[in-house]
Amino acid sequence: MQRRLPKMAAAAMLAAALAFSTAVPIAAQTKKSAEGTMPKVGDVAPDFTLQYFDGKDRKDVSLSQYRGKKNVVLAFYVFAFTGG
Amino acid sequence: MKNFQQNLKALEATDTQVLGVSMDSAFANKAFADQIGVTFPLLSDWGGKVTHEWGIYKDEYQAPRRVNFLIGKDGKILEEQVDKDAIDPKKIVDACPRPTLKN
Repeated sequence: MQRRLPKMAAAAMLAAALAFSTAVPIAAQTKKSAEGTMPKVGDVAPDFTLQYFDGKDRKDVSLSQYRGKKNVVLAFYVFAFTGG
Repeated sequence: MKNFQQNLKALEATDTQVLGVSMDSAFANKAFADQIGVTFPLLSDWGGKVTHEWGIYKDEYQAPRRVNFLIGKDGKILEEQVDKDAIDPKKIVDACPRPTLKN
């Protein structure tokens, strides 16, 4: 048993190294698949839930909460405190 | 954002909710809204998940491009403006009172 321990440790290290080496490409793939294409006129807008701060609390807003009730203007802007 | 604020009454009169979105924190956006007098929500896409999913992330900015969408009550996109064209929201504002939207 005593003699097998280093072997097991080596195996564990090898497994860890393998897991680490494969982790990078997997993460890269995940990022790529999350990169969508911009929806076009006529497409159904993808739903999302984001938060804003109203001065007291953070509030959730989902696009779907306006479905059948209101039109929505969604204005993406580059940074706060810039013009436009 | 100021441009939408200036047109907010016209937009609200046609049953339209305005939402700003950026990758700033919710708190920075609140400070920004207060500074420029914006009364509609400025949503925080912290981490950029939605920005990436919508294909709006621009590497050069490390932030979203400037894009305006008008989304109808059925959830479909009716109009959009990108980059420089998105600075003046007139096209979006003008599109709102169209009879097709009043359903």
